Amino acid sequence: MASVVRLSCVCRRGFKPLFYQSTLLSRPLAIPHKYQEQPHLLTARIHASQALYAGPGSKAASLHWTAERVLSILLLSMGPVAYFNPGPVIDYSLAAALTLHGHWGLGQVMTDYVHGESKMKAAKASLFLLSTVTFAGLCYFNYNDVGICKAVALLWSK
Amino acid sequence: MALLLRTLGRQGICLSRPQYTVPFRHAAPMGTTAKEEMNKFWAKNTRLNRPMSPHITVYKWSVPMMMSIAHRGTGVGLSGAISAFALAALVLPGNYPDYLDMIHSLSVGPGLIGLAKFGIAFPVSFHTYNGIRHLFWDIGKGFKIPDVYRTGYTVIGLSIVTSIAVALL
Repeated sequence: MASVVRLSCVCRRGFKPLFYQSTLLSRPLAIPHKYQEQPHLLTARIHASQALYAGPGSKAASLHWTAERVLSILLLSMGPVAYFNPGPVIDYSLAAALTLHGHWGLGQVMTDYVHGESKMKAAKASLFLLSTVTFAGLCYFNYNDVGICKAVALLWSK
Repeated sequence: MALLLRTLGRQGICLSRPQYTVPFRHAAPMGTTAKEEMNKFWAKNTRLNRPMSPHITVYKWSVPMMMSIAHRGTGVGLSGAISAFALAALVLPGNYPDYLDMIHSLSVGPGLIGLAKFGIAFPVSFHTYNGIRHLFWDIGKGFKIPDVYRTGYTVIGLSIVTSIAVALL
């Protein structure tokens, strides 16, 4: 039925008017739309998504989950080592493990409570800055001051 | 004619969805990731100005619920404390033993010092023990409700005992 109507349009008014039918106009024009979307998505890809590019079929999220658990277990094992074998090696290891564990943990908190592409981008950027400063500060403390293990020992001796 | 319209229409559908305009996305089309679905969910609810469904104000609080938020709270708190310490190390002049001597010279008293040590030890203990409980859940153990409560009370008990013991060191 519809095809009969369409054909009658062609016959009466010629070929071109057919393309100004509302069904075709409602679709956005393909080419400008594509170039509009691309730079935005590129930025979104770099900033909004997690560090590993995650498309459908990607294992990035699952690998991240596993890495979080491995780090937790590693951090657990560092406790006794710090107590029985204090020194610079465990100091720097603790600095790295604590900072990363905190970074990933706070990342999960943000995923739960921060909604929206731009808000998430801002939150993740601030978190990255915080974690960088934290790691820098802990390394500075390990290098120029007594170090984490000694600091805890001194604090507890008071 | 209908075929021509259908073909053009389909192209219109394909090109208006963001994933098809991205040339480096070489995954199968017609799918959305969980992240995209979640963003769509929140965008729609924000757009329609929907109120948040009551949860913490309506449901009866339970020990597992309280322990879960305490795990998150101690985690955020400890992380904040570490960051504050690191920032102080970078910004403040002098070194750590001098600051300790400064605090010591305030002659706070053993009771308050013990309390402060407990205050530091408890969040660390609780987060550590509950973290181990979480790791057991991650390997699939301890999900039955009686076990959840039993392990929960164990974590609380161990945390208190450990914190008192450590505070007395």
